[in-house]
Amino acid sequence: MQTSIKSRALKEFAEATATLANPAVEEWKRQGGKVVGYFCSYFPEEIATAAGFLPFRMRATGSKGTELADAYLSSINCSFTRHCFNMGLLGEYGFIDGAVCLSTCDHVRRVYDNWKWKVNTPFVHMMSLPKKVEEPQVGWYRDEMVNLKQALEKHFSVKITDDRLWEAIRLHNETRRLQRQLYELRKRQNPPITGAEALSVMVAGTAMPKQQYNLLLRELLDEISQREGNADYKARLMILGGILDDPGYIEVIEEQGGLVVTDMLCFGTKIMWKDVPEGTGDPLAALAQYYIAERPSCPRMFGDYPRRADFVRDMVREFKVDGIIGERLIFCDLWALEHYLQAKESKAGGVPYLILDREYLLAGIGQLRTRVQAFLETIRR
Amino acid sequence: MQQQTLQEKRLEKLLREREIIELMVKAFTQSPTEDDKLNTDLAKVTLEHHDRIIRCVKEGKPFIYSYYACAPEIYAAMDLPWYSFLELPFTGALLPTLQEDIDGSDKLFANDLCTIIRVAAYYIEADLVPVPNAIVGLIHPCDGTTILHQLIASNENWRNVPMFAADPPYWDDERSIDYYAGELRRMVSFLEEHTGHRMDMDRLREVIKEGNKQFELWMEYNELRRAVPCPHGYGIGMQMSGVAQGYYVGDPRGTAWLRDLIADAEKLVREKRGKAPKERIRLFWFDVVSLELSFELFPWLEQEWGAVIVMDMFGYCPYTLIDTSNEDAMFRGLAKRALFDEPMIRQARGVAENFLADIRRVIKDYKIDCVVWPGHMGHKDGSASVGLMRETCRELGVPFLHIGMDLFNKRYTSVDEIKNKLSQFFTAMGLG
Repeated sequence: MQTSIKSRALKEFAEATATLANPAVEEWKRQGGKVVGYFCSYFPEEIATAAGFLPFRMRATGSKGTELADAYLSSINCSFTRHCFNMGLLGEYGFIDGAVCLSTCDHVRRVYDNWKWKVNTPFVHMMSLPKKVEEPQVGWYRDEMVNLKQALEKHFSVKITDDRLWEAIRLHNETRRLQRQLYELRKRQNPPITGAEALSVMVAGTAMPKQQYNLLLRELLDEISQREGNADYKARLMILGGILDDPGYIEVIEEQGGLVVTDMLCFGTKIMWKDVPEGTGDPLAALAQYYIAERPSCPRMFGDYPRRADFVRDMVREFKVDGIIGERLIFCDLWALEHYLQAKESKAGGVPYLILDREYLLAGIGQLRTRVQAFLETIRR
Repeated sequence: MQQQTLQEKRLEKLLREREIIELMVKAFTQSPTEDDKLNTDLAKVTLEHHDRIIRCVKEGKPFIYSYYACAPEIYAAMDLPWYSFLELPFTGALLPTLQEDIDGSDKLFANDLCTIIRVAAYYIEADLVPVPNAIVGLIHPCDGTTILHQLIASNENWRNVPMFAADPPYWDDERSIDYYAGELRRMVSFLEEHTGHRMDMDRLREVIKEGNKQFELWMEYNELRRAVPCPHGYGIGMQMSGVAQGYYVGDPRGTAWLRDLIADAEKLVREKRGKAPKERIRLFWFDVVSLELSFELFPWLEQEWGAVIVMDMFGYCPYTLIDTSNEDAMFRGLAKRALFDEPMIRQARGVAENFLADIRRVIKDYKIDCVVWPGHMGHKDGSASVGLMRETCRELGVPFLHIGMDLFNKRYTSVDEIKNKLSQFFTAMGLG
């Protein structure tokens, strides 16, 4: 499915997605700004913003191999972590001033240990992310945020006040509201943006200063909201999975005639479907409540599967989804069983579900095409 | 009639395992050696435990599923029958159906998922294990355990079984201990609510005191393993942790078993003898000494290379004794033990430094000649620490081998391939 949008904003988003140190990051650095890289969408970006830093979601875009990383990680570790660490070892992440890891999964949490030993990033911090979503876990994560805030303040000699945190929360909520507006357009019978383009927009949101991003996103929304949309598709699809940051992967799916209209991805609805409640009390308590208990959760969060399944059902209904594609990075245990559960439930509800294992870098396109074509045949919309 | 058939189906694996243990008891009893006496005692308690669970299933009495790493002192104090659900695939090598079960699991799940987790998930989905009254889930140290318990909670036959899982902190500080102690208290409330069994703090104190004796003996025994030659070979580490944190928890018979083991080791140390024919290589096997490999690989190591597993992941423990002076101290002590002592949990739950600290300590304390990280296909966090482990060993001048295998499925890397890798490594390093 070819894009027909000739938008300046979309071009900038696509460029930010296709590179690491994109022009926006370079400009930020030129003006003396600091960049804090983070490895998981549970990282409270708002704290970095409140410190005056640019939060940057770590990716391995442009990676060519894993040779250096393979001496430290192993062949049963997911290719995202291997490529990402390899880029760290190659010095491709020289533009970040700090890296924050979380105890996300067995692969990503070890990036912290290896990064700390082997990559020369001045500030490396780890957050203990709870595995449940109840009140004690919200309290635990709030304390982890206090630790992060204090560590940033100490290392970078900055002060992160409550006022600045609330300001950052309002700014990030604005980003989320705009991104939801974009998804609202995708509910249309003829969505004005493809799934691949939408993913570009979402990834760019984690790699640019939020004020600049929000301006561009508003511009894009103005441009496309009145636009004639895509009508030439065989099925409306939802993508479920983790760190899918390559629009090229969705392009392959859409070239076969499926239009991706929504998702539950780390670069998708998971990071913007809900807002942090705005107020005047303790901003870290509000952030902890949002990150642990409010937003759509990752399969690592035990006991929250029913809420995830409800979320998928709601998405299917709201976006008139004909079929679901579950993508998984090979060796990811969490998504292995999560897809099994979601697929079982989805099929019982009459929604076809295709599970696709993949490597981080786009490969095996022929096989991907064949499987998607076969899947679309089974949908027969 | 239909109900009985379902119950029989769910009990079949447990009953078959019980039959094999009973045969082992009979065989050991007929042998006069000290080794077999120790094995008989262990097998008898395991049998007794299986019988108790089977009785609960048949008579509809409450029992739970839980794990060695979830403060089993609490179940002992509550007189609550418990069964480690992951034991079935773990001891699968005893059952002739293991390969069939692995094949069954491969049809449902991605085969890069840990075999133990995959087979356990298959047992749930194929309805092959009895449904308990409540579950204390384990959601660490790996992703597999977390998502397995999510699958259990979502299965149509199991979704009404109440489940509690204590949330593991990533750190080892006082805040983490307090947090986890709070989780254990919530676990007690959960068990009281769902099983009808009550917590008796005086009984908990007794159980912990007995456990403290066992941990002291564990430490004493491990001191004896420093001797050259090492008095005992592979497999004892698994038994030690099984006694101190398995079905013997708080049971004076476990304490007696440990004393007998120490007596046997002391005798061998005095005689400057080891159970292995001739010790030439002192090896640190940094993972599970699996039953699946216990019949072919580990005896071969001793016989062919004189390579004795002097220490393994389950045998090594920091032996935290628990203060029983008050309730708060007991829960904090249980939290510390569950997080910092439990084999595999202590290494894999938190930062990679936990693996490295064990390597440094064990190499120095046990005169280790080489470290082997088997690289079990399910231990992804450990395998992501393999470069740091290698560098740590290099700093200490001790050779390190990373194999890459499945500890529970010989079809992943055949025993012959593993033997080849080990032989090449020993030869290249001038060992043995």
